[in-house]
Amino acid sequence: MFFDLVRRNSKRNRRENGLFFSSLLAAIVAFYIILSLPNQGVMGFLKEMESGAVDRLLSLIPAFYAVTLFMLFFLIYFASRYQLERRSHELGMYLMMGMRRSKLFFMLLAEDLWSSLLSIFVGIPVAVLLSEVISLVTARVVGIGILGQQSTFSLSAVLWTMAGFLLIKLAAFLLLSGKFASTEIGTLLSATPEGAKKQRSAMLYRIALVIGVLLLVTAYILAISGEAWYSLAVMGMTLSMGIAGTLLLFFGLRTVLDTLAKRQTGKSGLGVFTFRQLQENVIGQPISLAVSSLLILGALCFFGYGVSMTLYYGSDDTHTLDYTFQDAENPLAIPERLKNLGLDDCFESIFDMRIGHILSGDDNEGETLGMDEVLALIEQEPDSSVKSDLLGQYNNLNNPYVISLSGYNQLLAAAGEPTITLNNNQAVIYGYAAFTNREKAELINRVLSQKPEVVVNGERLQLSGTLQTRNPVTDRSITLYFALIVPDEAFDRLADKSYTHYWNAVLSHQFVQENGLMQAIQQVNQKLDTTGIHYESYLQSMGRQLFYQVSSSYLTLYLAVIFLVIANTAIGMQFLTQQRKTGRRYQTLVRLGSHYEALCLSAKHQIQWFFALPAVVAAVGSLFGVRALFSGFLSPDMAESIPGLYRIAFVILFLLCVVEYGYMLVVTRASSKYILTQMEANREE
Amino acid sequence: MKQAILEIESLRKYYGRQENQTKALDGISFKVLPGEFLGIMGASGSGKSTLLNCIATVIRPTEGHILMGGVEVGALKGSKLADYRGKEIGYLFQNFELLDNLTGQENILLPLGIHGVTEKEGNKHLRELTEYFEITDVMNKFPSQMSGGQKQRVATARALILNPQIILADEPTGALDSKNARILMEKLAGLNRMQQSTILMVTHDSNAASFCSRILFIQDGVIFHELRRKVPNETQQLFYERILAVMAQLGGGSANVL
Repeated sequence: MFFDLVRRNSKRNRRENGLFFSSLLAAIVAFYIILSLPNQGVMGFLKEMESGAVDRLLSLIPAFYAVTLFMLFFLIYFASRYQLERRSHELGMYLMMGMRRSKLFFMLLAEDLWSSLLSIFVGIPVAVLLSEVISLVTARVVGIGILGQQSTFSLSAVLWTMAGFLLIKLAAFLLLSGKFASTEIGTLLSATPEGAKKQRSAMLYRIALVIGVLLLVTAYILAISGEAWYSLAVMGMTLSMGIAGTLLLFFGLRTVLDTLAKRQTGKSGLGVFTFRQLQENVIGQPISLAVSSLLILGALCFFGYGVSMTLYYGSDDTHTLDYTFQDAENPLAIPERLKNLGLDDCFESIFDMRIGHILSGDDNEGETLGMDEVLALIEQEPDSSVKSDLLGQYNNLNNPYVISLSGYNQLLAAAGEPTITLNNNQAVIYGYAAFTNREKAELINRVLSQKPEVVVNGERLQLSGTLQTRNPVTDRSITLYFALIVPDEAFDRLADKSYTHYWNAVLSHQFVQENGLMQAIQQVNQKLDTTGIHYESYLQSMGRQLFYQVSSSYLTLYLAVIFLVIANTAIGMQFLTQQRKTGRRYQTLVRLGSHYEALCLSAKHQIQWFFALPAVVAAVGSLFGVRALFSGFLSPDMAESIPGLYRIAFVILFLLCVVEYGYMLVVTRASSKYILTQMEANREE
Repeated sequence: MKQAILEIESLRKYYGRQENQTKALDGISFKVLPGEFLGIMGASGSGKSTLLNCIATVIRPTEGHILMGGVEVGALKGSKLADYRGKEIGYLFQNFELLDNLTGQENILLPLGIHGVTEKEGNKHLRELTEYFEITDVMNKFPSQMSGGQKQRVATARALILNPQIILADEPTGALDSKNARILMEKLAGLNRMQQSTILMVTHDSNAASFCSRILFIQDGVIFHELRRKVPNETQQLFYERILAVMAQLGGGSANVL
């Protein structure tokens, strides 16, 4: 009998609060996915390449788990509180009928446990499936599918998910039942108080609104100008102003809604009722609305940042070289050693790229590279941030490099680009691609077109051609920010004799076609690993790139989803709870002759406004927030592509609209169902 | 004889089945004439609220007919039913049922919005009603800032804003102190007297009932007695005493009736 009651009550709770139940499922799925991250195929793959970084990332997972637990605890706490409040009359009745408090406690605990177990039984298989799908999709997207996909199932992840979930459920339950135990039966039995909040003078709310907006605008300006990143104090101030501004804005928003409600007076329909309901909702819960708005803002920023970073790291399409070999002792023997390994068939071309520091002679007073003419020409350019940036860079060229032309031409040929022809006293400038945006390249090319001369170790060389940016080696860790590409003879004259031979290799087209790039590189790697040849493969540099892509996108998107789910569930539940609390008003409206459709329409408008208020505030904030993240984290050249990134931001805002619309639909449906129950008036004798 | 505004014919409302059946109304018939102030009295559980709820279409009778202006109320559906609820009848609730998040004025004008009547048409009537019920200064206040009497008078103004054919009042003084109850009854009686408003009021308050022109007493779902105020000779005090005498007999069986 007791368990039958428990089962039935728990079923009713789920039915009445489907939104909350779905959020619990989402929580379980989120827990599992973050915990099973180490088992994801792409992570296993990255671990081979970048074990240090991956380990560091994976060591962060417990922290993410804890943060998620903490946030979900609040969602569950408030949702359970709403649920208990709604049932307070029923619980009072149990007590009146002589049920002991301890028994009631166990009944509620059993109901809660039953719901939790059901969520786990439904949630875990969904989570495992989803995790598997994510693993397969990422593997396919990054092209490692052929390596053999392993199952991502992790028992420890399942156990930790269950433990975490039950822990927060239990903690919320204990806290609430503590509160419940001290409530008198009379209070429980009386109808839910309307919670008539004490109203202060309208002027106070107006002032709050204005200060809120001012604080938000100041925070936006600080964030977008990049000043927020100057020091921890300014950052703290920006964040505090943003948070305080949002709180004050929602605190003062009632005045706007009051005006809107007054405007509706005398108009046909339930406009006044709609806005007064909305106003009451906003008055009742300004803090939770503001927090929801901040959570959506957080989600949008993470989303925008995550997606942009993914696209940015994924946008490198300059892959030409597959391998760079190095051997300090006997560099010239590398082609021979590769041939001995039977690898020569695998490569289309193997060529020597000689890179070395410029020899510093004794007769030029320590100046190895004189750029005076170049600097003078740059000075003539109109003022811009690119110009001052370039002047700064070219004034401080420490220990510049030279690259031999023959090697570089072979690289260009392998990439299918025209080669460079130089006479003995000419040179071409090389600049690091990631640090050279279009504007900078154009400026340099304008300067180069005037054929200025540079002094290299006392020798005058004329700069010709255009700026070259193709990376001379595979490895991204050897980064040349500036170098001069010079003919081989000049290289022999100008380079320090301890220059390095980088043997670059391009895999044969046929070999790659047969095996796929990843598999081809792995096969070659296996052979190379048996020798002592130091090599760097495209896979490794890609691994690093992938790592950034995966870690930034995975974690930011994870947080974004969690934040969105929490915020929207909180908003939706808050609305539905208030609707139930004020159910009698709907009955009165029915008695005054309101149609079902008119009531549903009013509720729909309330829902739209109620969701839109925090979402719109967050959306406006996110435009500045994502921009602030960019100005804080991005390299200067990437900041140049901000218009492109803004396009992404708009796509994300569109996605937000889709998510919000989905939630609105669910809540509207629940609301219409509830209104229908209010159409049948109760017998009141 | 005047055409009745409201006709109730053999109205029955049964709850439950067979042995457990409760006969809340068991074949009630009566008519309400235009300009009449009819009271329905009876002990708790006698069926008086069920009767009012049936007329207000809040519950559906098991059998019988309710004709409002000659139209069968039970056959109304959709927008006609909604119009009936809002325009034909004005309902006064015991606990006012004001929407506590709307100001007095917004509450009164609510039926206009619901039934698509423009503010212009309603404004003149609003002014008359607020002046008559002396609630002008609470128009911009929320119900929580009003006294019980003010709330009920605002609710009455709301019930009257669309000029209903009949006002159905369900224990309108039930939640009021005696002073406010008297003010409200005087206002309702004044409306009835001056504007020939038709009022059907359910009450068990003999004081309030003494303002009526006719009273039906209900017991166990049937009309058990009827009192008519003898106009113009009978004073309200005398009528009140007659009501008290009937009330004293209620429950004692028909043999004891005066």
